[in-house]
Amino acid sequence: MKQLIMVFIFALVAGNALAHFQMVYTPNSALEKPSVIELRHVFNHPFADEHTMEMGLQHDSKTPAPVEEFYVINKGKKKDLLPTLKPITWKGTTNSAGGYASTYKARRMGDHLFVMKPAPYYESNEDIYIQQITKMVVNVAGAPTDWDAELGLKAEIVPLNKPYSIWTGSTFTGIVKQNGKPVPFAEIEVEYLNHDVDITANAMGKKRFSAPQDSFVTQGIKADANGQFTFGLPKAGWWGFCALGAGSDTEHKGKELSQDAVIWVEAKDMQ
Amino acid sequence: MLKKLFVLACLLVFSATSAMAHSALMSCFDEGDGTITCEGGFSDGSSASGVEFRVEQNGKVILKTKMNEYSEVNFKKPSGKYQAVFNAGEGHAVYVDGKDIVE
Repeated sequence: MKQLIMVFIFALVAGNALAHFQMVYTPNSALEKPSVIELRHVFNHPFADEHTMEMGLQHDSKTPAPVEEFYVINKGKKKDLLPTLKPITWKGTTNSAGGYASTYKARRMGDHLFVMKPAPYYESNEDIYIQQITKMVVNVAGAPTDWDAELGLKAEIVPLNKPYSIWTGSTFTGIVKQNGKPVPFAEIEVEYLNHDVDITANAMGKKRFSAPQDSFVTQGIKADANGQFTFGLPKAGWWGFCALGAGSDTEHKGKELSQDAVIWVEAKDMQ
Repeated sequence: MLKKLFVLACLLVFSATSAMAHSALMSCFDEGDGTITCEGGFSDGSSASGVEFRVEQNGKVILKTKMNEYSEVNFKKPSGKYQAVFNAGEGHAVYVDGKDIVE
């Protein structure tokens, strides 16, 4: 009986551990004209929202480690946005944890490709660190400029269709890369941001859909031999793709590190 | 002769398709220093460098120039109502109203 309980606990812990997602959230990725946009950076589980994690949590310190890099690229020009990050407490459905808020003036036409590289997060359930290098693209006025840029990151998903220009019911295709090279048969997790977001209150809002079974909460897929994958998006809103352990760094502070590549894409309804 | 006609027909169809396949785009913002910057482009990502740009006020053209090498134009903000026009040819003109151009 004890063994059975242990198996259940392990399954629950493993299930939760697999579904972490670094969010770089903004309400709208396809802007009609230059705008000032709000961004929220939260480490959580976007479908179930059962637990929000403290960004940059370390195993040997009570103080979270700061974000390593946060920048934007527009028309090939890189701008450091680290000074724009302001610590916040994000209210999830069941708990609150530290994240960041930032404001950005999306002034220039074209793509604004954001890259967030948080400090590795210590996951005590597995005694490992997780670092999710996250990309998100906002477009101004429809002109394509930087959305498909290959940045040669340690872990990166390079999109093959525009992350901000996807009809609900169509697909997203990307290639998982490590230092610019495709990762064959990469393991990818897909989650839908299944809650309204109250950006003013820094909180998750109402839940949208229920999953028929646990395998639908975090959808596990694999890339092909060229590191490429395609996934259909059945509902409007934000979808996160996370290539697990795709990065070249494998250790942090003497512990195992899962360096993941995350990209967020937004599907929109035909109206 | 027939072969030449076929090649010509193919070229015509191809060039017509190319012209239809992308749309002209423009976005403008107020620099906050008394000038306006307008950026032009196309939905296929091609450059708008050298494409005609106009500023119109009360039905009159008050500025006529071309997009620079960065597909941009910077001009002194006119007082009163005005329109910025990116003229990429027939069916490819984009109008932005001055009141929609903000910092």
